[in-house]
Amino acid sequence: MREITASVPRFLRRSLVLVLAVSAAIFLALASFMNRQSASTIRNVSQMYMSDLGEQIAFHFETAITLRLDQLNALAQTISSADIHHDLEEQKELIINARAREFTHLAFLLEDGSLDMLYGRQMQVTDPKAFIASLSGHEPKVAVGTDAAGNDLILLGVPAGHTPTEEYPCLALVAALPVSYISETLSLNENAGHIYSFIIRKDGTFVIRSAEDSRSSYFERVRALYNKAADSKDLDLYIGALSAAMESQTNYSTEIVVEGDPRQMFCTKLSHSEWFLLTFMPYTELDQMVNGFTSRWTAAVFSACILILAVLLVIFAKYLQMTKRQMLELDQARKAADQANKAKSEFLSNMSHDIRTPMNAIVGMTAIAVTNIDNKEQVQNCLRKITMSSKHLLGLINDVLDMSKIESGKMTLNMDQASLREIMDSIVNIVQPQVKAKRQQFNISIHDISTENVCCDSVRLNQVLINLLGNAVKFTPEGGTIEVALYEEDSPKGEDYVQIHIKVKDNGIGMSEEYQKKIFDSFSREDTARVQKTEGTGLGMAITKYIVDAMGGSIAVRSKAGEGTEFHVTLDLLRAVIQEADMVLPEWSMLVVDDDRQLCESAIASLKAIGVEPDWALDAESAMKMVEERHNRHDDYHIILLDWKLPGIDGIAAAREIRRRWGDDIPILLISAYDWSEIENEAREAGVTGFIAKPLFKSTLFYGLRQFVDTGGGVEDDQIGISRAGLEGLRVLLAEDNDLNWEIANELLTEELGLQLEWAENGQICLAKFDGSPEGYYDAILMDIRMPVMTGYDATKAIRGLNREDAATVPIIAMTADAFSEDIKKCLDCGMNAHVSKPIDVREVARLLAKFIRK
Amino acid sequence: MTLQECYIQLGGNYDDVIRRLRSERLVTKFVLKFLDDGSCTLLLNSMEEKNYDEAFRAAHTIKGVCQNLSFTRLYEISGKLNEALRNGPTPEVPALVEDVKEEYQKTIDAIRAFKESGGL
Repeated sequence: MREITASVPRFLRRSLVLVLAVSAAIFLALASFMNRQSASTIRNVSQMYMSDLGEQIAFHFETAITLRLDQLNALAQTISSADIHHDLEEQKELIINARAREFTHLAFLLEDGSLDMLYGRQMQVTDPKAFIASLSGHEPKVAVGTDAAGNDLILLGVPAGHTPTEEYPCLALVAALPVSYISETLSLNENAGHIYSFIIRKDGTFVIRSAEDSRSSYFERVRALYNKAADSKDLDLYIGALSAAMESQTNYSTEIVVEGDPRQMFCTKLSHSEWFLLTFMPYTELDQMVNGFTSRWTAAVFSACILILAVLLVIFAKYLQMTKRQMLELDQARKAADQANKAKSEFLSNMSHDIRTPMNAIVGMTAIAVTNIDNKEQVQNCLRKITMSSKHLLGLINDVLDMSKIESGKMTLNMDQASLREIMDSIVNIVQPQVKAKRQQFNISIHDISTENVCCDSVRLNQVLINLLGNAVKFTPEGGTIEVALYEEDSPKGEDYVQIHIKVKDNGIGMSEEYQKKIFDSFSREDTARVQKTEGTGLGMAITKYIVDAMGGSIAVRSKAGEGTEFHVTLDLLRAVIQEADMVLPEWSMLVVDDDRQLCESAIASLKAIGVEPDWALDAESAMKMVEERHNRHDDYHIILLDWKLPGIDGIAAAREIRRRWGDDIPILLISAYDWSEIENEAREAGVTGFIAKPLFKSTLFYGLRQFVDTGGGVEDDQIGISRAGLEGLRVLLAEDNDLNWEIANELLTEELGLQLEWAENGQICLAKFDGSPEGYYDAILMDIRMPVMTGYDATKAIRGLNREDAATVPIIAMTADAFSEDIKKCLDCGMNAHVSKPIDVREVARLLAKFIRK
Repeated sequence: MTLQECYIQLGGNYDDVIRRLRSERLVTKFVLKFLDDGSCTLLLNSMEEKNYDEAFRAAHTIKGVCQNLSFTRLYEISGKLNEALRNGPTPEVPALVEDVKEEYQKTIDAIRAFKESGGL
């Protein structure tokens, strides 16, 4: 993991460097390629331009020369005959005409090559042979020459218009123009452009050259310039190629380097002469311009490149940052998973240990029982221990199952109407034996209970309370005190809700601060020697917390090591809609004796609510006085409620005294939070009429006292009889496939409750019977679930789906051997009203029938 | 043999059944009726036919009857079988069927002994 954490950024960094390098290389290559391309393009363009330019100059030359030759030719045509050298008049006219055409010299060329000057100084043809040869062939010709003053001249020759005679062998008329004429005409030396030209002959000698050049031959000039730097081989090649081109009279173009400047050279032949025009164009400036453009272009490309790289860099940096963060998160997740895993394996080893202990006991005790099979006492002892260990084991496994249900999210709440009184009663019953075994003080205080019936999952709430109380008992030493407080407040969720507070407090070993923080984590137990002696999965609190959370409540813990612990559960529960109006007792006067003022006040409030007018006393002595006073007024209390544990004279002694002094008329009920079986005989002997269990809910009081309504005394346990009153004669349809079960149910329900039972052997028959009966014929249906042909679920759905008045209202109560909460839930989902599990409990059936039929 | 002894022999809870059904006469009547109950036959037949739904229902019925009669031992074993068959048969089903069969036979034997001893 750590390697990956390091290697990913390394990989990214390397990729970044690689991308940078590749981009830089690509841009560099691109730039140099473009540079080269542009250079060669310039060469091509200038070559084209140069050849055009050269040809144009040559054409211009040809035009100019042809014009002059034509002028001269026209002059030559005016000569009538060879006698011209005699005819002075004609000569004079010729001279005037020639001067008018700006010819500086005029002469006749004789066959021997000498020139007979008409005007101008004596001049000489520089290369007379070719000149004479051309003119002899009657071709006009241009050549160079010099006059006596040493001026360079351009000589134009046209054949004379007549045949030469013996006397005057005149071949041609020759006129001269200054060399500057050609230069000016052709703008050869114009320095405004960068282009310059020479005119040379085949052998390299200049005809027209640039002003500043002193050498007479172009070749020499080139050599002189080149000798400075370049190697002569190139030079010879160049001169050779140029000479060859001139020889063959073809156009020639090349690139040469003069004085470090590369330049383009173009050579073309000029017409009417043995001359060649060399035109040069230096690249330097063009190159500079192009280079400027190229460098600007390169700069632009490079800045684009840098911009792209910068963007890439930013993206990489961001990505790197993100990756690092992800890595960090992954690492954290891994650590959390590791920790959870570790907790689980620790839990497994703890669990194995915890399971092994009772298992060992079971195995050992079984072995002992087998060897002592005839010793009944010993076997019984062993069996008792085995039972205890098995129960413990079952508890452990149930916790683990619950936890796994919670962790897989499969735990659901079965919300139903529940009575806080019943919940507290059952808790007290469960916890009492443990409390008693450890000789601990157990106090329950209940006050400000306005709503006794609420909607909640009573099984799960029980589980929470058993966990809390079980822990309190477990972690409180013998003789310690455990207190449970239950009270209600207005709920912030609205009027339909009531906020229930349950506090479980002990003065046991308590918990360290650190442990309090993780007490609700799964698989945790405080690691102290004291705790290790105590069995448990460490799941109880996690389960408790989960259940409380699922109910939308909260749980808080306050504890100090060595001083004790207090858990505070707060739940907002929906008030159950239940009629409490009928909980009314006659206007009795009653006396409540308890040393706990809060309990007294709470009991008084409850008693007033059910129509009783109570007095109260905090100890037996003052109670005795009150009883005496009433007795003397012949207005005895109807019923006296005595707490068992009172300061001074206890409840039993007080009862004995009351009986002794005022007889047996007044029923005395003993209030006790504990199992009263141990004191029952003593109490009965002392004259106690009955018992009433703490906590004192309104309904506890009502049901406990109601039995005295008719008789005014004497305890009857004919509760079935009470239930029977409302149910006699009700017609109930019972769906049950098994004969024996049917007979038992029939016997019990008919005999005990006076119901008229009708039998349907399966769901189908049940449906048919119900469907075939007049509306309201059946008061209720008791439905077995597992039946052939049609199950109870389907039958219920079908009945609920019938189109008749009572289809939706007839109470359907499931009666099945399954008692899992899932089964119960399914029953209710199918439309049944309630569920009773087998074996048939007449009281439960009676209670449910009464409840639903009354509705 | 008294009814109580019969209950001890078949592993039932006499006190519980008397508390619920309230008379020895009724309990005796139902216990003897148990001899005619066809649920076990149905269970064995269904197992043979591999009709596990029906077997599940039969096990369920045995469990229910035993609950009503407080035949604790048979109730527990049939309950186990019931669970093993609940979501289709599990590997331990055949062994459990044998257990139920055996326990059922023991129960029947105890009731027959009771009947023959003239506990009527």
